[in-house]
Amino acid sequence: MKQLLGQIIRSREFLVLVLLALMVLAVSTVNSAVLKPVTLINIINSSLFLMLIATGQMFVILTRGIDVSVGATAGLSAVVFGFALNAGIPLPIAMLTALLTGAAAGAVNAVGIVFGKIPPIIMTLGTLGIYRGLMRMLTGGSWIESIPQSIKSFAVTRFLFLPLMVWAMIGVVILVVVLMRRIKAARFFYAVGDNREGAYLLGIPVRSTEFMAYTLAGLFSGAAAIVFVGQIGFVPMQTGSGQELKAIAAVVLGGVSLMGGVGTVFSAVIGALFLTTVDSMMIFLKIPGSWNDAVAGAVLLIVVVSDYMIRRTVRARQLNARAKEIAISEQTTSNHQTTKVSP
Amino acid sequence: MIKGLQRDVEEVPLISLHGVWKVFDGGPVLKGIDFDINPGEIHALLGGNGSGKSTIVKILSGAYQTTAGKIEIEGNTANLSGPSDAHAQGIYMVPQEPHVFPNLSVLENLTIGLSGDPATNAREAARLAHDIGMNVDLALSAGHLTIANQQLVEIVRGLLREANVLVLDEPTSSLTSREVERLAEQMRALSDKGIGILFISHRLSEVLEFADRVSVLRDGNFVLSEPVANLNAEMLVEAMLPAEFNVPEETATPKTHKTTEQPVLEVINLSANVFHNISFEVYPGEILGISGVVGSGRTELAEAVYGIDTQVQDEIRICGVPVEKNSPRSSQQMGLAYVPEDRHKHGVFLSLAAAQNISASMISLPKAKYLGTKKEFSLARSFVERLRIKLASPQQTAGTLSGGNQQKLVLAKMLAPEPRVMILDEPTRGIDARARQDVYRIIRELTSKGVGVVVISSEVAEIAEIADRILIMTRGRLWPLPPQLDSVEQISAATMRAKPPNSSGVLTAEFAS
Amino acid sequence: MLAVVLVVELGVLGTINPVFLNYQNLLFSTSDFVPVIIAAIGLTLVIMTGGIDISGVSVMGLSSIVLGLSFVAGAPIGFAVLIALGTGTAAGAFNGTVVARTDINPLVVTLAMLFFYSGVAAGLPTLLDVLGFKAYGAGGFEAYQYEGITGLPDSFIWLGNGMIGPVPMPLVLTILITIAASWLMLFTRFGRFLKLIGVNKDAAIYSGVPVGRTLVRVYAINGFTAAVAGLVLTAYFTSARSDLGSEALLNIITAVVLGGSSIYGGQGSVLGTFLAGLVLGYLRQGLLALGITSNIIPIIVGGLLISSVGFKILSGYLNEKRANQRAYSRERLTVNKSEG
Repeated sequence: MKQLLGQIIRSREFLVLVLLALMVLAVSTVNSAVLKPVTLINIINSSLFLMLIATGQMFVILTRGIDVSVGATAGLSAVVFGFALNAGIPLPIAMLTALLTGAAAGAVNAVGIVFGKIPPIIMTLGTLGIYRGLMRMLTGGSWIESIPQSIKSFAVTRFLFLPLMVWAMIGVVILVVVLMRRIKAARFFYAVGDNREGAYLLGIPVRSTEFMAYTLAGLFSGAAAIVFVGQIGFVPMQTGSGQELKAIAAVVLGGVSLMGGVGTVFSAVIGALFLTTVDSMMIFLKIPGSWNDAVAGAVLLIVVVSDYMIRRTVRARQLNARAKEIAISEQTTSNHQTTKVSP
Repeated sequence: MIKGLQRDVEEVPLISLHGVWKVFDGGPVLKGIDFDINPGEIHALLGGNGSGKSTIVKILSGAYQTTAGKIEIEGNTANLSGPSDAHAQGIYMVPQEPHVFPNLSVLENLTIGLSGDPATNAREAARLAHDIGMNVDLALSAGHLTIANQQLVEIVRGLLREANVLVLDEPTSSLTSREVERLAEQMRALSDKGIGILFISHRLSEVLEFADRVSVLRDGNFVLSEPVANLNAEMLVEAMLPAEFNVPEETATPKTHKTTEQPVLEVINLSANVFHNISFEVYPGEILGISGVVGSGRTELAEAVYGIDTQVQDEIRICGVPVEKNSPRSSQQMGLAYVPEDRHKHGVFLSLAAAQNISASMISLPKAKYLGTKKEFSLARSFVERLRIKLASPQQTAGTLSGGNQQKLVLAKMLAPEPRVMILDEPTRGIDARARQDVYRIIRELTSKGVGVVVISSEVAEIAEIADRILIMTRGRLWPLPPQLDSVEQISAATMRAKPPNSSGVLTAEFAS
Repeated sequence: MLAVVLVVELGVLGTINPVFLNYQNLLFSTSDFVPVIIAAIGLTLVIMTGGIDISGVSVMGLSSIVLGLSFVAGAPIGFAVLIALGTGTAAGAFNGTVVARTDINPLVVTLAMLFFYSGVAAGLPTLLDVLGFKAYGAGGFEAYQYEGITGLPDSFIWLGNGMIGPVPMPLVLTILITIAASWLMLFTRFGRFLKLIGVNKDAAIYSGVPVGRTLVRVYAINGFTAAVAGLVLTAYFTSARSDLGSEALLNIITAVVLGGSSIYGGQGSVLGTFLAGLVLGYLRQGLLALGITSNIIPIIVGGLLISSVGFKILSGYLNEKRANQRAYSRERLTVNKSEG
C-alpha cells in the first residue's frame, strides 16, 4: 500500500494533477469564483470530449504510433449520430451507430498502418482529410440542426450534483482501468510500444495489438461525438476540428511517452482536464481567450523538456551506480586473487 | 525397432541440426553444420566475429529459417517458423540484451504472452523465480532490476514456457564477477534437472569452468566439438584462429619508436563510467594494438578519445596540442580519425552513393568547401584505386556493396581528411579474407607515411600480426602485455580471461605456462 | 514523373473544360495555392533530416499579424516585413534548438510550438492594448484579432497581386525560393549535411557533421519560408490575420510527401515538392472549375497522400522480394555445386 502510494506520488499524472490544483488555487486568490463547485463541475463537463478522444489516442501512442485523425473521426461520428437521431432511430441504437462509425474509421487506419505498412502519421493525416471531406459531403457543408432536443436532457440531468455524463465518464475510466488490469492482452499495448522486436520474440501478437489500438482510438472518438452532440444539441461543421492535436498534447502532458510503452488512462484524463482548465482559468483572470493556445503550448513544451532533463539525470545516475558496483566487485575479486596467487 | 532401442540407450538429443545451411545477401554463413544439445548438458559455443554463432542462435529461436538442412527435436523432424513456434516446442532464447519491459511489473514481465489461467501462471512464476534465486519483489516495476536480474527474468520466462532447451546468448558480457558466479550456479542447477543449455561466451575461462562440452565455429563450420575435460585454453584459441592465418614464427619484430619523438596521441588518466585511469600514447609510424573482448570498455574508450562521449574526465593531446572541446569534428581537425566498430550503425550511409560516403568527413571539417560532383568523383576514384574498392562507379549505392567494401568506404571516408593518428575499432569484423588482407596493407601503408595507428580488436591473431606494441584491456582497465607472453595463444588467453591480471601484471600459472 | 503527371492532369482537365487551359488562367490561378508550396519547400528541407515541423502553419499567422501590428504601430512597411520575417525565422530556430538539444520527438516539440505560436499570434493584438500602445482604430488592437489589419500600402499588396510581365508575383517568389532551396540542397555543404543526417544521424555524428548547428539552421529556414508564405497570403488577401494557414497542414505535408520525400528522412527534392504543389493546386482549381464542390477536395488530397506512400512501399517491397529471390537461386546453385 505504501509502495503504491509512493508510486502514485512519483508519477507524472500526479505531478500534473498537483500543478493543476496549484493553478486553480493561484487563480482563486485573484478571483475566488473559481472555487465554486459549479465552476469546477463545468470545467470537468467541458473537458469530457477531449478526455474521451485523448483516451483513445492513448492506446495508439502506447504502441508507439500516432493518430491525427481522431478529431475528424469524432466529427464524422457526430454527423452520423445526428442523422440517426433525425431519422428517428432510438437513442441507444443511434449511439451504437456513432460508436461503430468511429470504430470503423479507426479500423481503416489500422488496415493501412498494420497491413499496408504506411507510416502512422501519413496514414492518419490522409484519413483526417478523407473523414473531414466525408463529413462535409454527407451534410452538404451545412450544420445539422433540428436534432430532437431530448438528447440534451441527458446532458443536463444531474445525479448527486454531477451531470449524468460526468458519471458516465467516471464509469468509462473505471471500466478501462479494470479491463486493463483484467485482460492479459491489455499488457500487450505496453509491450509492443516498449520493445516491438522483444515483444515479437516473446510470441506476442504484435499486429493484432496495433490493430486493436487504432480501432479503440476510433471507438473512443465515436463516444466523444455522442458527448459533443449531447452537450450542444447540434452538429457544426467544425466538430472535432483541431482536437486531434489537442488530444496528443493532452496525453503527452499527462505522461504518455511518444516513444511508446508508458502511460495510463489517467494520463489522458488528467492531461485533458489540465488543458481545459487552462482555458477556463484564462476567463477568470480576464485574460483574452486568444491566449489559451499560447499557454497550452508553453505548458506542453515545459513539461516535455523538464521530463527530458529528469530522464537524463536519472540515466546518468543509474550508469554511475552500476559503474561503482562493478568497480567495487572488481576491487574485492582482485584482492582475493592477489592473496591466492602470491603466497 | 532396433534403431528405436538404440535411441533409448543412447540418449536422444533435445535438439539437433543436420547439415544446416544459411545463405545471406549472397554469402553462405553456415555451411552445412551438424549440432546438437543433449538433456542436462551445458554446451558452450565459441567462435570469432562473423563465424556464424548468432545465426545458429537465431535459427534455434525461430527468428531465421534455414536455407537447407533439417532440424530435429527429440528425434522428430521439426519446423521452427517463428519465436512462438520455438517456444511451443520447448526452446527459449535469452537474448544478449534482455527484453525487459521497464514499465510493467516484474510479475507481468514474467507472465506476459502466456496463455492459461493468470492466477496459476502467477503462482508458477513466483515459485520458479524463488527456486532460481531471484530475490526481488515481483510487484515492483521491472525498470529497476539489475542486469543480472533482468537475465533471470528471461530465464524464468523460458522455464514458464516449459522450455527444455535454453539458449543463453553471451549472458555474462555485462555482469560483474560475482553475478557471473551466481549465474553459473543457476545454470548448473537447471542442467541437473535435465534442461539442455546452449551457453555462448567470449571468455575462455568461463567456458572451461562452466561447460560440459565445447564446440568451436569457424567460418560457418564446426572445427571442434569435445567434452570440456579433453580441452584447455590453448586448444580452444588455436581452433578459433582464422584458417588462412599462419601464426608467425616470431611475432613481427616490434618497431622501436623513438621516444624522443612527439607522440601523435597522448591520453592521460582518462576515466568514465566503464573505464578507469587509462593512459597511453601513440607515436608516429607505430601500430598500437589494444586487445579486448566485447564489454571490456574498449569501444567506450575509443569513443571517449574521439569525442563522442563527452562525459569524461581527462587530458587528451593530439600531436602535442591539448584537446579543449572534445567532438568528432574537432578531433578530425586536429588530426585524429576513428573507424567505428559498428559499421552499419555508425559508419556507412547505406542509401547514399559511394562517392558521397567517401566525402562525408572531409566536407564536415570547419572551413571545408563543398565538392562539386566532379571533384567528389575524382576524390572517390583516387580512394577506390588506393584501397582497391570494388565499385561499378562512384555513384553506386553503398548498400549494394559487400561488407568488406563497405568497410573500405568507411576507411576512405576517415582517411580523406588526412589524419595523423587513427583509431580502428574491430577493422576486419565480418569481412572476408581478401578484404582483411587489404585492410592490413592499408594500415601498414599509413604507418610508413608516419601516421600513428591504434587497432582495437578481440581477435588476438589480428593484433599479434600487425601491432608493434600490445596493450590488453579487461573490465575497464588497460594493461601492458606481460613480457613473458609471446605466443598468440597466450595473449588470447590473457585477453579472454574474465578477470584482469593482478597489479603486478603476473598471470596465473594456468595460462603462462 | 511528377512533371508528366502535371501535364496529363492539365490535359485531362483542359479537355473537359477548355476554358481552364488558358495560359493566363493557369498563371493567375497559382496565386491561390502557391503559399502552400512556399511553406512546403521549407518543410522539405526539415523532412530531409528525418525531422518534421508542423508549427509552420502557426508561424504563417504569426508573421502576418506581426507585420500588420508593426505597420499600424508606425514602422515603415519594409521594416515591418523584416520584423515579420525575423520573427518567423527566430520561431523556427527555437524549434530547431529544442530538437537539437534534446531527444524529444520533433513532432511533440513542434506540436507544442504550433499551439504556442498560434496563441501568441491570436493574443498579440490584445497584449499591445494592455501595454498601452495606441491603435488608430476604434476597437483598439483587439479588434484586429477578428477583423484583420487592412490598409496595408500598395507596395506591399503588390507582393500578392502584382505582376512581373505575365507572371503573378506570388509565383515569382515561389520560383525564386524553389531555386534558392534547390541550390542549397544540391550545391552546398549544408544541403549535403541535411542528407547525411537524414540517412544516418549517428554516422553523421561520427563523420564530424555539425549536426546540432545544421538542425537549428534548417528549422530556422522552415520558419523563414513559413513567414514568407504568411506574408504572401497577407498581401494576396490584403489583410493581416493571425489565423492564416491554420487549415493548410494537410496540403503542405501532402505536397512534400507526394513530391517524393520520405518521412523517414534522407530522400526528397525541392523541385519534386514544387511540382507536387502545382499538381495539387491545379487539381483543386480544376475540380472547382468543373463544378465539383470543395467538400470533396480533402478526400482526394488525403487519398492521394495515402496512395502515393502506399504505392512506394509496395513497389519497394516487391523489388526487394525479387532481388532476394534472385540471390537465393544463385546461391543455391553454388551450394549444390560444392556439395556435388
